[in-house]
Amino acid sequence: MTNYTLSLAWRLFRHETKRGELTIILLAIILSVASVLSLSLFSERLKYALTEKSAEFIAADRVLESNKPVDLAWIEKAQEMGLNTAHQTYARSMVFANEQMDLVDLRAADTGYPLKGTVKVADEPFTQGIAIDRLPTSGEAWIESQLFQTLAISVGDNIEVGDKIFRVSKVLTEVPDAGFSVFGGDPKVLISKMDLAATKVEGPGSRIDYSYFFTGDSGDLDDYYDWLEPQLDNEIHDWDSVEDDESGIGRAVGRAGQYFLLASLLAIVLAAVSIAVAAQRYSMRHYDPVAIMKTLGAPKKMVQQIYLLQILFITALGITIGVILGFVIQQLVVLAIAGKVDVSVDVWHWRPLIIAIFTGTVCAVLFSLYPLMKLFSVSPLRVLRRDLGANLSSRLIQFVASGGAIFLLMWAYSQNIKVSAILFISGIILVVSLFGVTYGLIWVGRKLGQGKMGAWQLAWARIHRRAMDNSVQLISFAVTIMLLLIVLVMRNDMVQQWQDQLPQGTPNYFLVNISQAQQPNLQQHFVTNQVEIDKFYPVVRGRFVAVNDEKVRTAVSKEDPDEQSNGRDGLGREANLTWSNTLQKGSEVMAGKWLGENNNSDTAAQRPFEVSIEEGIAERMQLGLGDKLTFNIGSEIVDLNVTSIRNVNWQSMQPNFFFVIEPRALQNFIPTYISSFNLPTERKSDITQLMQPFANVTLIDVDARINQLRSIVDQVSMAVEFILILVLAAGALVLIAQVQASMDERQQELAILRTLGAKGRLIRASVVFEFIIIGVVAGAMAAVANEFSLYMLQTQIFQMPASLHLEYWIIAPLAGALVVGILGALGCWRLLSLNTSQLLRQMV
Amino acid sequence: MTPTTMIKTNGISKTVTTTQGQLQILKPISFEVKAGESIAIVGASGSGKSTLLSLLAGLDEVSEGEIYIDGQAMQNMDEEQRAQLRGAKVGFIFQSFMLVQSLTALENIMLPAEIAGHHDAKKRALDILELVGLDHRASHYPNQLSGGEQQRVAIARAFISKPKILFADEPTGNLDADNSDKIEKLLFELNQNSHTTLVLVTHDPVLASKCQRQLHMQAGELTEVFPTPSIEQAARKVG
Repeated sequence: MTNYTLSLAWRLFRHETKRGELTIILLAIILSVASVLSLSLFSERLKYALTEKSAEFIAADRVLESNKPVDLAWIEKAQEMGLNTAHQTYARSMVFANEQMDLVDLRAADTGYPLKGTVKVADEPFTQGIAIDRLPTSGEAWIESQLFQTLAISVGDNIEVGDKIFRVSKVLTEVPDAGFSVFGGDPKVLISKMDLAATKVEGPGSRIDYSYFFTGDSGDLDDYYDWLEPQLDNEIHDWDSVEDDESGIGRAVGRAGQYFLLASLLAIVLAAVSIAVAAQRYSMRHYDPVAIMKTLGAPKKMVQQIYLLQILFITALGITIGVILGFVIQQLVVLAIAGKVDVSVDVWHWRPLIIAIFTGTVCAVLFSLYPLMKLFSVSPLRVLRRDLGANLSSRLIQFVASGGAIFLLMWAYSQNIKVSAILFISGIILVVSLFGVTYGLIWVGRKLGQGKMGAWQLAWARIHRRAMDNSVQLISFAVTIMLLLIVLVMRNDMVQQWQDQLPQGTPNYFLVNISQAQQPNLQQHFVTNQVEIDKFYPVVRGRFVAVNDEKVRTAVSKEDPDEQSNGRDGLGREANLTWSNTLQKGSEVMAGKWLGENNNSDTAAQRPFEVSIEEGIAERMQLGLGDKLTFNIGSEIVDLNVTSIRNVNWQSMQPNFFFVIEPRALQNFIPTYISSFNLPTERKSDITQLMQPFANVTLIDVDARINQLRSIVDQVSMAVEFILILVLAAGALVLIAQVQASMDERQQELAILRTLGAKGRLIRASVVFEFIIIGVVAGAMAAVANEFSLYMLQTQIFQMPASLHLEYWIIAPLAGALVVGILGALGCWRLLSLNTSQLLRQMV
Repeated sequence: MTPTTMIKTNGISKTVTTTQGQLQILKPISFEVKAGESIAIVGASGSGKSTLLSLLAGLDEVSEGEIYIDGQAMQNMDEEQRAQLRGAKVGFIFQSFMLVQSLTALENIMLPAEIAGHHDAKKRALDILELVGLDHRASHYPNQLSGGEQQRVAIARAFISKPKILFADEPTGNLDADNSDKIEKLLFELNQNSHTTLVLVTHDPVLASKCQRQLHMQAGELTEVFPTPSIEQAARKVG
């Protein structure tokens, strides 16, 4: 490369930048880099913040769960690798006090626990807890409120756990890793790890689980897992992170992460589209200079170098400004939401920066490839024959280069071929079908528009004459609108679903053990105290003993373990059995038929009793339709036939049951009832008074857990909202770039019409009509394509129920017409503000 | 071919493919132009003048025949070699000026010298800019100049590399009478001073008459017009 080439390229670049020739392409690159950087930096920070927050729900970044103590060397290795560790042992054990007893969830923690989140305690049962930065000392036990009730004790009393006596010094109100299943857990008792051995609860047949907690740099954690993984046994060990958490938190964070990914991918596509539009325009504006240079004897290589250098200069400048702008935007968003979402700006993430620079470069190079190739093919003969364009016109190259670039970017960015492929294939189908539709519409429109030359006819004539250009333009509008719709609708559906899970008034207290006699009084008492109480569910407790006459292992029993070792695992505790004729809200029969719906010719009396089981337990215990389950209820044995498998929404915070039995099977048993109610946190102090007449009724307080869940869902929703705004802004800029570019092509025609004496009003109206037509058609096509893409995304990626969004079939064309029409009018207004001679001169 | 022959064509023709089949837009043409000579190619619009110019300048390829420019056979050259030849020996002036809009007047003039790799491009450009009387407009962009000024810049650009041949396509076609006169004057003056061979395409008989020879193009055929009006049948076919 000669110095002249470099200097000429630099001079052209400088002048063109100064004269605004490069503004559009430069803006497109800036936009792509800025939107990708701000979106991905923000989402990375947000993800970090949310993961940090969610990590509190497992009390660490990673947890190794095991049903046997692990080799100490594993923990030492983790510490060597710079990780913080803590340990907790869980045992199901009976506690005794005042000749009362209850089965509890005994937790013996070492001093490191919890690595994330806090333990909260109170001095009185059923009162608001406050965070405490220590754990029970030796001989001390902290127990949950309901246990005070069951055991009829107060703070300061003693309880007996196994062989050791503990003094109850605090009410345990919250532990970070409490989990979210309301009835899955027994009341918790927290003791020091030092005291565990003395209780002697560990022993043959006992059910003990060990949790090892780890926190540290995510790279170190991954390295540690790489080291640990080969030594893990799937039967014994389970490695968990918050993403694996099934509690809705993990799912919400996971889904939000996918949404950010999707939004960023779409932002990349938007930016790519705007670069393609701008590069096309740039190329066409340089046909003349290339022809001139070639005529004056410039070798092809020199011309290529000059323009490639210019692209390089533009890319470098665009990336620099884009990075600064992207960083500023992101910082502003973080500032704007400070206090609502706790996003830390202290942690710097390199990946978004690298991705942004990579995006800018790939977009600039690959999307300008075809326009540049066209530019290089311009014949010098153009100096004499002005109508000569580029010799190269293979849209195939353009589609392959652009499509390849988009796919490459999506894949590189998401590292998820499924998401990339779904979006990409939807895009291809969209583009191909849009071409067909566009051509059809343009043809029909022209037929309709023939006749007198009004603004309407002029608009159609213009659309028709540049059918190919217009198809490309129409499709780029449609794709832009579709991408915005996807981001908008996904956000609405997702946030709606989250909010539906925890609507206002979600029960935050559960009542268990209500006797049949108490039930009407309790209901009346609650009404008097203006607390709305939910439905009462009858419950009998039963021990699950056999499947198809084969005994299952009952882990809590201390019978000879060898004798039962071949059997299936039982539940490990008594199950709550309920009966009902109706399927609970939020449940769905996945296999078989709901109780009593089987077309059985036998009379009810002859039929075996039916049971509906929850799908998770069916899977875990390998139960299927037609299996015979045997329960020991009271002292009676009851056989039940599995006739349906249900899914249950455990996140609904409603009483849910593994087993629902047809009513006639349990008519001889006296049930207790469970129910739930909602009491606002500020009325928490009313609890004592509310529960006083019903001393035997157990109260389970999930208020803290619901608040935790709600706060994280609110934060995620809020974050999603901001991401949406960022993408909408990116989309709007792309639309402006597109209108601007197409306005350029209209300049010549406007100048001619102006010269011929057409009134400004006619010209303006015709341009606005043209853009309105394009906006309506693009909006309509986008709405159709949006349904398809959403269906694929929701069912394949987000694991959400797919739904139709008919309202957008109307909103999208209207919004398209409005936005594109207004942008067209503004662009046109700028052109018409120039006088005819200026217009003509600009055309030279 | 004598050394003084600058352009020699031997039965060159141009055929293009249209939807109706092959169309010969230039019938076989043979003629010579001597070094320093000025010729005008005249004819109505669409007669093939510009096509002939594009072939002579190596902007387009002949379908048949041979063209020699300063002794070099152009029909055997590829696009790159033709560009090199243009850069070394040919200058151009166009009806629509064809200046690079994003370069200043001075930079437009420097362009051919820079492409050819001349170290003193700027000095040469400044000198010639002064010669065409536009030294005060050096840093102006084309759209800040009048039509006449733009064409003067184009003339300066054409002469900067001291070309052996200058092709001018309707150089005054876009100018008013006053500017046309000035441009014509400048063009012939520079042409004479630098002993350049001038091939001028025009439909303006006055401008054509200022050239030493006139070739008349009609429906793709070229005939030479002798300036003596008394010889009525002077026109002879040169093809």
